[in-house]
Amino acid sequence: MNAPVFQAKDYKSELKPIWCPGCGDFGVLQGLYRALSSIGRPPHEVAFISGIGCSSRIPGYTTAYGFNTVHGRSLPIAQGVKLANPELLVVVAGGDGDGFSIGGGHVPHAVRRNMDLTYLVMDNQVYGLTKGQLSPTSPRGLETVTSPFGSLEEPINPLLYMLAYGAGFVAQATPADMPGMTALIEEAIRYPGFAFVNIQSPCVTFGEDDQQLKAHKAKQKSLASLGHDPSNQLAALDLARAYGTELYTGVFYRNPSPPPTYESLVKLRQTEQAKKARPRNQILDAYLQK
Amino acid sequence: MTNRQQQTPGIDFAVLTLKDALDLAVLIEEEARDRYEELAAQLVLHRTPGAAAFFAKMVRIEELHRKQLLEERAKAFGEQPVAVRREMIFDVEAPDYDEVRSDMTTREALETALRSEEKAHRFFVSVLSHVQNPEVRKLFEELRDEEVEHQDLVKKELAKLPDDDRFARVDVGDGPAPQ
Repeated sequence: MNAPVFQAKDYKSELKPIWCPGCGDFGVLQGLYRALSSIGRPPHEVAFISGIGCSSRIPGYTTAYGFNTVHGRSLPIAQGVKLANPELLVVVAGGDGDGFSIGGGHVPHAVRRNMDLTYLVMDNQVYGLTKGQLSPTSPRGLETVTSPFGSLEEPINPLLYMLAYGAGFVAQATPADMPGMTALIEEAIRYPGFAFVNIQSPCVTFGEDDQQLKAHKAKQKSLASLGHDPSNQLAALDLARAYGTELYTGVFYRNPSPPPTYESLVKLRQTEQAKKARPRNQILDAYLQK
Repeated sequence: MTNRQQQTPGIDFAVLTLKDALDLAVLIEEEARDRYEELAAQLVLHRTPGAAAFFAKMVRIEELHRKQLLEERAKAFGEQPVAVRREMIFDVEAPDYDEVRSDMTTREALETALRSEEKAHRFFVSVLSHVQNPEVRKLFEELRDEEVEHQDLVKKELAKLPDDDRFARVDVGDGPAPQ
């Protein structure tokens, strides 16, 4: 008997997205549905975990399990979910503010722990939900309600961060290239370990005109077309430095020999310890022998 | 990568059969119908009734085209299974998500539809240079020509509309809908 085939629409919930018309997140959501359909796991074997922000509404728009958690805490909760049920396909979704500001401290630990999670950051370079304040990835000079004369800060470079922390899969996409973005999301989900995709998803309401999808279409350059070898970590670091000036799309780095995941090591440890464990009826003997 | 390859990655038009071509055409109309439905819902939510009503009309039109193609398919191939999947196509006739804005006018909505019809026309022109099956060629030529007819219809509707009399976007404080 053939396995059931899941179509993109099978992952779409009845809830209508309330993002602003023209928002990049609509395309990301479509790409997610399609990537999940290609992977073919049924919705009940998938969990979306998010924090707070426009893009963090994604769990509600899918038929998979979802947890719209608290601001900046999507990664710790996703790790708990994965550890409790390692068979679940866990996708973490959120924005640049959620991930790199209030949640920034959790990122290196999630990366070094290396659970099989896919972290999709919809990087719009602004806090859109709260009406347009500076975010960690806002470019220097950006005028917002909290920086009326222009930002004085350098933005965080999410690609460099992830590469420096040691993530095994680091990619960048834009919904201006739907097939490319969908393929990257699928590849990230299939990577056996912590995978990060920075999706440049412009804010149509508070974002800059030259950052909208039409501009992305004109300026994006695929890393494959540059001849980049995704197994070359040093070359990836070099290319990632162009974040904010060039829009490179594709896989910056993919560890050619992915290390074991945390959950697989936990399972191994449990198996080893179980061999040494006393039978249940002898557990108290350890104390009684004193 | 060409636009055609972007819109239909993995489909080899040189070996496409008539059945698969008809199914593909049905899916293209279905994708456009669903996208207009989504865009209409977005604009209803953001209280942009003129553009929303036009997109709702486009939902009905795309559904009509889909049904016509489905009937043609049923006559020729009955209940034979469908081999092409919706996941194989990307925005062939469906407007891009970034075409819409919460404050768009009815005229802008019509212009969006016009650009989508032009995009579909370019698609059929592009694939025709790869198609070898004469029946598929005939079908795609018909569909290509229909896209021109649809463009003419939208242009006629546009001509009936008064010019937009509106504030410049920069003068309007446009906030997102309550969350």
